[in-house]
Amino acid sequence: MAEKLLEIKNLKQHFNVGRPNMVKAVDGITFDIYKGETLGLVGESGCGKSTTGRTIIRLYDATDGQVLFEGEDVHGKKSAKELKKFNRKMQMIFQDPYASLNPRMTVADIIAEGIDIHGLAKSKKERMERVYELLDTVGLNKEHANRYPHEFSGGQRQRIGIARALAVDPDFIIADEPISALDVSIQAQVVNLMKKLQREKGLTYLFIAHDLSMVKYISDRIGVMYFGKLVELAPAEDLYNNPMHPYTQSLLSAIPLPDPETERTRRRKSYDPAVHNYADNEKLEMREITPGHFVYCSEKEYNELKAKYAK
Amino acid sequence: MEKLLEVKNLEVSFQTYGGTVKAVRGVSFDLHKGETLAIVGESGSGKSVTSQSIMKLIPMPPGRISGGQILLSGEDIVPKTEKQMEKIRGKEISMIFQDPMTSLNPTMRVGTQIMEVLIKHQNMSKTDAKNRAIELLRLVGIPMPEKRVNQYPHEFSGGMRQRAMIAIALAANPKLLIADEPTTALDVTIQAQILELMKDLQNKMDTSIIFITHDLGVVANVADRVAVMYAGQIVEMGTVDEIFYDPRHPYTWGLLASMPSLENDEKAELAAIPGTPPDLTDPPKGDAFAARNQYALAIDFEEEPPMFQISETHFAKTWLLHPDAPKVEPPEAVKKRMRQLSSTFEKPVVVKEGK
Repeated sequence: MAEKLLEIKNLKQHFNVGRPNMVKAVDGITFDIYKGETLGLVGESGCGKSTTGRTIIRLYDATDGQVLFEGEDVHGKKSAKELKKFNRKMQMIFQDPYASLNPRMTVADIIAEGIDIHGLAKSKKERMERVYELLDTVGLNKEHANRYPHEFSGGQRQRIGIARALAVDPDFIIADEPISALDVSIQAQVVNLMKKLQREKGLTYLFIAHDLSMVKYISDRIGVMYFGKLVELAPAEDLYNNPMHPYTQSLLSAIPLPDPETERTRRRKSYDPAVHNYADNEKLEMREITPGHFVYCSEKEYNELKAKYAK
Repeated sequence: MEKLLEVKNLEVSFQTYGGTVKAVRGVSFDLHKGETLAIVGESGSGKSVTSQSIMKLIPMPPGRISGGQILLSGEDIVPKTEKQMEKIRGKEISMIFQDPMTSLNPTMRVGTQIMEVLIKHQNMSKTDAKNRAIELLRLVGIPMPEKRVNQYPHEFSGGMRQRAMIAIALAANPKLLIADEPTTALDVTIQAQILELMKDLQNKMDTSIIFITHDLGVVANVADRVAVMYAGQIVEMGTVDEIFYDPRHPYTWGLLASMPSLENDEKAELAAIPGTPPDLTDPPKGDAFAARNQYALAIDFEEEPPMFQISETHFAKTWLLHPDAPKVEPPEAVKKRMRQLSSTFEKPVVVKEGK
């Protein structure tokens, strides 16, 4: 596979450290993101998937662990200049297109904010040209530049959010539930746009969502999170065809499909963490069962899974 | 089967600074006893306004039921006063809202919120009501109901709150339950549990359900019949099989084609419906969907299509079903799911009266 763009090593994000109500939102996860791919991250609300995204981009300071972007540690001491350079390469698209755009700024100013900060335009004219170009890229038009966010629908606002992320020519975009707040017919428009941009600009995405069918559609690989841990990581097809971790199996069995016949015969599996029956001294870690397919398991489970799936 | 609810040619409008918004433009449907009708459509299609009108929950003014009838067990509720509606709400019809975080009263114990309904509508004593509340919490699958009944909503998780909402809604054994996106704010695993619970309770109590959602997967799971709404009108209605295996309206095609399917391995582009829904202060002439419809005919921009009947239960409002219309092929993703259904008429028939 292609070269690694991002390496996440044993990342931990704990809140309220040292107090009785400490939350281990992200509890030691390790994975890589390759150049040009889309990695999907799924799980229930509260499993730590959004926190993972936000910690990677340094909206939170990690409690422990490393995030290496092109071999360079994101966390740790950084001068303002270094941070700026880094911020240009990594951008984020947020879930709520209503809350993530400043209602008192025009669309042009919202989109150009990054251009201004990084000094990417030499003149006013160049700045506006860049804004028009970005609006065009995301399927809006020139006239929209002088309007305010409240004049737009949810789908259009999400396009503005995408244009803002693209303004600084990033390599890597974290999309945190970018389509959850949108209508079905508009979701497809935004997903198609993201795919088109990826093809044209060679972007790498971390796509965080709970809508599994959309995640499968857009992702090359998918990671499943459960209570702050990554429990399974596999190529998208493989994960859907051979889910190995019992939690993934239960998650997949719960997705309602737009087909009445399969729905009538649906058998839902539930996940009980007690099935693992781990002994105290067992070492739990991500282990590769089949090529590229990792499961968080004990040595014993590893041998069982290996016997079952690797023929 | 007995008809519980008949909505006839319902029209609802809102007065705003920008003009009158015609949110619901002539909606008719009926609902049988023990049946689940799903209403699907995007935001602004009028699905929530329709259901809130049935409970007369729309704020008036600015809202107004400008035409039509809502017959509940044969009795029209449109002319009823607020006082009379209070006897119906919670007792005959009750509602589950989308957001269980905001629809429960944070300052009242969950048990008290259930007891309120029982004391008001069933004249129960306080102790009886409390026992019944515990029973209801057990019924909706909340563990340790004796303890839970004295807790506040913030002590409940999202899924548990939605269960508590369902317990409140079902407390007075309503004949009709309106569920407005009840699972949208929940995770898939919790969603599956809530859907199972609702179906289970429906079997036990023989309640009719109007289920409003935009998730077609959920529709396939719960619905007996489906109504697809667009721009304040029902554009297609039929049994769940008819809508999923033999859809006729291009908007329904668009909805079905824009969803990625899990079995589908190919990475072809999703068939998005271009554009956005029309502005209902000034609904377009002709077919409201025409501007976004790749199959639109010249007449779609001129004249509103009538409702065509495809089988006993299947209706669609599109000129494509007219005998003179050119034959069109639905998108690839929809063609794959098409099946020949035995109940289909040989030819679509125009329904004269506004169905």
